[in-house]
Amino acid sequence: MISEYFPVLLFLAVAAVIGIALLVLGNVLGPKKAVAEKLAPYECGFEAFEDARMRFDVRYYLVAILFILFDLEVAFLIPWAVVFEDVGLPALVAMGIFLLILTVGFIYEWKKGALEWE
Amino acid sequence: MTEFNTRDLVTILPELVFLGSIGAILIVDLFIKPSQRIVTHVLSILALAVTAGFVWSAAPAERVTAFGGMFVVDMIATTLKLAVLLTTALALVYGRHYMQERKLLVGEFYLLILFATLGMLLLVSAGNLVTAYLGLELLALSSYALVALNRDSAIAAEAAIKYFVLGALASGMLLYGMSMVYGATGTLDLARIVAATPDVQHPNLLAVGVVFIVVGVAFKLGAVPFHMWLPDVYHGAPTAVTTFIGSAPKLAAFGLAYRLLEDGLGGMSPHWSQMLAILAVLSLAVGNLFAIAQTNLKRMLAYSTISHVGFLLLGFVGATPAGYAAAMFYAVAYALTAVVAFGMIALLARAGFEADEIDDFKGLNQRSPWYAAVMATIMFSLAGVPPLFGFFAKLLVLKSAVDAGYLWLAIVAIVFAIVGLFYYLRVVKVMYFDDAIEGGTLVLPADRPLRWVLSVNGIALLGLGFASGPLFAWCNRAFGL
Amino acid sequence: MTFELVCFYVFAAVAAAAALAVISVRNPVVAALSLVLTFFSMACVWLLADAEFLAVALVLVYVGAVMVLFLFVVMMLDIELVPLRETASRFLPIGVAVAAVMLVEMLMLIGVRSLKVEPIADPAATAGLSNIEWLARSLFTDYLLPFEVAALILTVGLIAAVPLTLRHRVGVKKQNPSRQVQVRREDRLRIIKMAAETKQGESP
Repeated sequence: MISEYFPVLLFLAVAAVIGIALLVLGNVLGPKKAVAEKLAPYECGFEAFEDARMRFDVRYYLVAILFILFDLEVAFLIPWAVVFEDVGLPALVAMGIFLLILTVGFIYEWKKGALEWE
Repeated sequence: MTEFNTRDLVTILPELVFLGSIGAILIVDLFIKPSQRIVTHVLSILALAVTAGFVWSAAPAERVTAFGGMFVVDMIATTLKLAVLLTTALALVYGRHYMQERKLLVGEFYLLILFATLGMLLLVSAGNLVTAYLGLELLALSSYALVALNRDSAIAAEAAIKYFVLGALASGMLLYGMSMVYGATGTLDLARIVAATPDVQHPNLLAVGVVFIVVGVAFKLGAVPFHMWLPDVYHGAPTAVTTFIGSAPKLAAFGLAYRLLEDGLGGMSPHWSQMLAILAVLSLAVGNLFAIAQTNLKRMLAYSTISHVGFLLLGFVGATPAGYAAAMFYAVAYALTAVVAFGMIALLARAGFEADEIDDFKGLNQRSPWYAAVMATIMFSLAGVPPLFGFFAKLLVLKSAVDAGYLWLAIVAIVFAIVGLFYYLRVVKVMYFDDAIEGGTLVLPADRPLRWVLSVNGIALLGLGFASGPLFAWCNRAFGL
Repeated sequence: MTFELVCFYVFAAVAAAAALAVISVRNPVVAALSLVLTFFSMACVWLLADAEFLAVALVLVYVGAVMVLFLFVVMMLDIELVPLRETASRFLPIGVAVAAVMLVEMLMLIGVRSLKVEPIADPAATAGLSNIEWLARSLFTDYLLPFEVAALILTVGLIAAVPLTLRHRVGVKKQNPSRQVQVRREDRLRIIKMAAETKQGESP
């Protein structure tokens, strides 16, 4: 059964080789004649005002966590779909309750305005 | 493979009713104005009361399992559930005024408490390691968020972070232990683990699993040396939240300890009872000695909690039904006392004034003799002065420890109980013999249910002391004695 | 040594090395990306153990969603890199000592021999089902209750996240297309009648 994943393994190997090779080639073959001005971040002709790393807004966190929750919900749907015909009604009811609970949560976040991007 | 049947639904009916009510409350709260939050408040208490009614009326005489052993209902579960629901309702009544004054009375306060309560109901009915873990996570996750609810407060944020990190560590320990137990016995079902214990292939693997499970349980109980989070969390959380997490979850932690250690790992009791004896001694010592040094009442009560956990563990060391019955009695007595102790702080607090320093209670007798008397009753009950509720609880666990052959442990406990008397009496002394910092009579909140219920709860500690005979008989019956 | 075993050692080594990188590299973003590599290698190891669904779920949920969250969190924080390193190296010897003691203790207790426990027979293979099918069957029969409790935990996660992070800004100007579409002439335009306001001797 694992042998079915052999192409995936090959793909991984090829991807790793290409990725590493390109980095190495670029480093080895590329001319490196660095000066301070050349390495400085480009800020429209000025000296750089601040660090390139900026703090993200906390709103991204909310979006990400909501995404995780519903992503997990979808992850549970996959095995459900596989055995739905065999298990039958109990599986339908079980998933119904599962989705109902999460839908209540969804109504909550919608009404709270967590889906708005101000 | 177990097939689904409707009898399972009847067994779990109280939880289903509770879940349905939570859903309804969630929706209702979304559509009301913040000024109408009293609706959420009343509905939440109603939901707790209705669930308690279902728990009571659906209580089976015998041990019943549902969902293929996942969910267990017996008299222990019923008793703990009733106590959890009562304590939670009390915490909601005591917390409303405090949260309202600070503009923290949001719908999430109720929802998270209700979800945490649902987690506790599942936890005390766990018949499987998976159910126990998920119930615990439901409780823990809600509690972390509750502590952080006041997000403009730096100490609340710090408390929440500490609680979360250490709680996650404890869950990790517990899971690691569970995985070893599974590896050794090949099952997650608690009843089957007990059955498989005598002839496991690798007893040492099981023993290491037990170590990790004891560590996880000790973290959740707050036993020394796994107590570091407790003072910071109790201090940093809004008092209304402390009222909740300081009371009802102790009952659930007792349930967790009982289900895992006795229901699941009863065959390993010679191993874990030694560990629990050490934890008990350390908790009694550290809790009582550190409490003396505290000037903040919430921190003092946190260290007092640690010492009470030590007492609770005394009931476990013998691994006998009589000991568990005494420990359950202790847990119930402690939860009902702790909830009103934190409730007193919430009562005295006003907007911009936390009332959580011991000095804030100075001269309370001059300002309000009634509430000084209530507070004194609470302190005496926590200290274990006869004839209060706390005294009988202490007496029973001590007796069970002596009966189990742990005389030295009982003596250590008595010594530290006497040490503990000092800091409880200091609060009483401050109230009666010191001069008030603020003059005049005490300005009490207009929240009438808060004042009434708190008074009744405080005085009930005296009444329950006299009624402890039937209550203890009840606990004994729960453990088949 | 079979080919499978070689694959196992390669992926396990990558996972261990990447996990070490997570806690030792300077840049938190690189640490987060190393964690992605750890997850990915672990998914491959699980795949070798015939746990197909878990492997796919790990990539889908952890690499796909949790790591995005981690990266957001890392970028949200303003971590000063140098002081962090100093405290880390100060506690490193103690940490290593404790870890070593624990490892030795556990190995002594459990014994190296019991590390070679005969694995319990794969229930999916005995039942003649694929991994995902077997897992799904037990999820919807034996583990029905935990499955529903999982939904509750997800909902609590949602309810906890919203009050902790959601802040409505005041004074934000935004368009509401729904209201724009529904607008009528009466809402925008008011025709009033009034007398002409011209003073005497003044030209309008």
